[in-house]
Amino acid sequence: MAADWEEIRRLAADFQRAQFADTVQRLSERNCIEIIAKLVQDKKLDVVHTLDGKEYITPAQISREIRDELYVHGGRINIVDLQQILNVDWVHVENRASDIAKSDKGVQLVLGQLINDTYLDRLAEEVNDKLQEAGLISIAELCKIYDLPGDFLSEELTKRFGKLIRGEMDQYNRGVIFTPAFVARHKARIRGLFSAITRPTPVSSMIGTFGFQEHLLYSVLEELVNTGRLKGSVVGGRQDKAVYIPDIYAKTQNAWVDSFLQQNGYLEFDALVRLGIPDPSSYIKKRFKSNKLLFLRAACVGQALVDQVEASVEEAVNSATWTDIQPILPSCLSLEDIGMLISQAMRNTNVQSSARVLGDTVVVSEKFLSNCLSLFDEAMQQKAQKEVKNNPVFLITEDDLKQASMLTESSATSKKEKREAERRKKATEGSGSVKSGGGGNAREIRIRKTKKKGRKDEDSDEETGPSQQNRSKQTAAPFMAQEEIVAVLEERVSDCPEEILSELAEHLVRPLNNAYQEVLRTVFMSSTSSPSRANKKKSMKDLQEEISSLYNNIRLFEKGCKFFSDDTQVHIAKHILKTLCSDVTNILVNFLAADLMMSVENPSTITNEVRVKILGKLSEETKGPLMKLHNCLNGKTIEDFLTNIEICAEVCGFMLKKADKKKERQALFVHRQALSEQLKETEDPALVLHLASVLLFQGSTHSMLHAPGRCVPQIIGTLTGRIPAEQQQLLCAYQSLVVKQLVSQSQSRKQQQEEAAGEGEAEQDDEARSVRTQLTALTPQVKDLILSQKKTSVTED
Amino acid sequence: MADEATRRAVSQLPLLKTHAGPRDRALWPQRLKEEYQSLIRAVEQNKAADSDWFRLESNADGTRWTGTCWFIHELLRYEFRVEFDIPVTYPDTAPEVAVPELDGKTAKMFRGGKICLTDHFAPLWARNAPRFGLAHLMALGLGPWLAVEIPDLISKGLVVHRERQGDAAAE
Repeated sequence: MAADWEEIRRLAADFQRAQFADTVQRLSERNCIEIIAKLVQDKKLDVVHTLDGKEYITPAQISREIRDELYVHGGRINIVDLQQILNVDWVHVENRASDIAKSDKGVQLVLGQLINDTYLDRLAEEVNDKLQEAGLISIAELCKIYDLPGDFLSEELTKRFGKLIRGEMDQYNRGVIFTPAFVARHKARIRGLFSAITRPTPVSSMIGTFGFQEHLLYSVLEELVNTGRLKGSVVGGRQDKAVYIPDIYAKTQNAWVDSFLQQNGYLEFDALVRLGIPDPSSYIKKRFKSNKLLFLRAACVGQALVDQVEASVEEAVNSATWTDIQPILPSCLSLEDIGMLISQAMRNTNVQSSARVLGDTVVVSEKFLSNCLSLFDEAMQQKAQKEVKNNPVFLITEDDLKQASMLTESSATSKKEKREAERRKKATEGSGSVKSGGGGNAREIRIRKTKKKGRKDEDSDEETGPSQQNRSKQTAAPFMAQEEIVAVLEERVSDCPEEILSELAEHLVRPLNNAYQEVLRTVFMSSTSSPSRANKKKSMKDLQEEISSLYNNIRLFEKGCKFFSDDTQVHIAKHILKTLCSDVTNILVNFLAADLMMSVENPSTITNEVRVKILGKLSEETKGPLMKLHNCLNGKTIEDFLTNIEICAEVCGFMLKKADKKKERQALFVHRQALSEQLKETEDPALVLHLASVLLFQGSTHSMLHAPGRCVPQIIGTLTGRIPAEQQQLLCAYQSLVVKQLVSQSQSRKQQQEEAAGEGEAEQDDEARSVRTQLTALTPQVKDLILSQKKTSVTED
Repeated sequence: MADEATRRAVSQLPLLKTHAGPRDRALWPQRLKEEYQSLIRAVEQNKAADSDWFRLESNADGTRWTGTCWFIHELLRYEFRVEFDIPVTYPDTAPEVAVPELDGKTAKMFRGGKICLTDHFAPLWARNAPRFGLAHLMALGLGPWLAVEIPDLISKGLVVHRERQGDAAAE
């Protein structure tokens, strides 16, 4: 117990002691931070706290730690890494780091990294190793490997050349480092390669093929060229298009150019380009400074050639001929260049006004041109005369158009249309006359021929046809088509090439046409003024005779047709009106037209329309009766025509003598003679029948007949009773055969179109053949019938 | 109740084992020893935490305890006398701590300056008897009471700092 109390007392004492022991003086963390912050604020303490806020650190400690880290990291450390390691605010790290870099020469701050010299030395050693291995190393590559700026690297490496790095830097391109061995090897290769080159070679292709280092290549090449080890030159600088041109090539090139120019007197730019001269004209200018060369578009030409051209041009001008420059000039010159050259030559020789260039290469003197023009004078005169004779009407209208400006355009066109229409009419008529066959039209023409003017008729038709067609193409009467001119020139002007001729002709067409218009006018004037009057006097008599003979014939024919029935009479009358009466009218109209200078050489060519036109221009007194005459041509009776023509003849001043018996008989005889002549010659059964019947009619009735082929049956009908029965039978048989033949001809024509069955055709053929044989058998008999009778009748007469 | 720091501190105090009151002659010394050890520990803890706030001493048999306690408010130290007896039913009944100086100044006090702890402390003590001892009484009873009452009393002007008192007296 006592012990317990003892212990209690002791504990109480302990308790007291504990109570009175010093209280530990503690500062809370907050207070500490506040105190330190206060101290730092008052600048009594220089410390930096770590990022986690657990420690304070002095700047000196930071510096020391930075150095330690730098060492640990092998001499190169990023400030960002450093900051993470030190766990201090980045600003302090950076400040300390830059302080260190500033104060310590062996340490540098590059791209936010601290780097010291030991690191750089080691780097240089590494670079050296690589360099020795590869022979060449580029700074850019190093930059990539070491992640350092090129400038810094090259600077640092330059410091160590010769010490740590056995190599050198390219003087021109500081981005590359070589070892001397590499350079020497390269140099040797370049020397060898470029010594072997004999023609211009793009350096870039060499680089590609042989794997040279571009920068090294250029510097070495330059060095070699400059020292004279390589005979050549580099053109185009240090770019891709740089070209190495060996002297030997340049020499041969120059030699070629020189000799070519010397031999040929010209230089083609294309050829130089092919030789590898990029800018030929400047090259030529540089090389031939002293020579006077004429530069054209694609070539340049020496003085000799120019002289030659000038000489030939001059010669052509002086001798009033032409000359083709082309053979003198090299064939490679383009037309454009030739043109330039010629114009230059012409300028030099001062003959621009007295010569001109045709077909690009031919120089023609103006004298030659005028000579050519004069070649056509004669032909022009002839043609003009012919034209005047043929177509005064058209000339008149042409002249009218030109001279009388008051004529409106519309009337001109209407005239043109009219002319067109006439032309067409004529053409159809002409073709009708040419076409032969069993048609009635053909026979009519043949009959008309017998009256001595059928011949002329056709001729004139053929002649006027084409000329009119020509005319209708061009409004002004042209002299000759270009082709015709070419043809004439070809005859007259020897050894001219075709193209030149055509061009010459082209050149001549306009002046020739103009001249022709002139000539035409003068010829026309002269021909219409004096000689036509004289002619008129002379021809007056002839005309009168012709008209009266025709008039009498018409009367006789009229008498002849009285033998027929009314229907047939009308047919025959119409036929006569259309043929003979029209002729008479035309002669009259033409005569009157001659007064107005519109006469046509051949009156029978006048058609209805022309007639109306001419009539429209006549004076009032003659116009009326002639108009009536013209109108009754379309009528049905010959009597009207006869009365009208008597009046008209009076108006025109002709005497129409009525024929006496003797003359009538003479006419009958002439007519019969002509018909029988024709009959003798003809073989066409239809025509034979026609002629035979007409002759028999005349023989039996003693009156003339002018009937269309259509009326042949009627004629034969009237003959019954007037001729012996056997003759009658023969004629009938012949007629039926002719009809059969005509029918079968037309049928077979049809059948051919329809391609009928073979059998029927064969039958038809057989029939036709038998008819033909019969006809040929009968033809001489029929002819004989007439001809023998003719003899008797002749004896009768 | 006491604040978090106090509770933590209390949890570090050793719990008592002996269930004996002053009347239990045989076991009381044992209990008293444990009380002392616990108090020493508490004081040591307080000192270590720089929150020493009371002084206590007992009579010879450990039934009556006297001492002082202080409270720091707005950088001023207010000190009060403390006394209490160990009741005979101890440790089942908590001792009634008295601060005689504050007698009549606050409603949370019985006559004679005994502080009123019944609300929270009595059930807590009853639950933990006999393991709670004097150290717990101080930490969980008087400490929180002072922390609540003194600032209130100071603001009411019922408790005045001694220097001020002096000042006031001088005036």
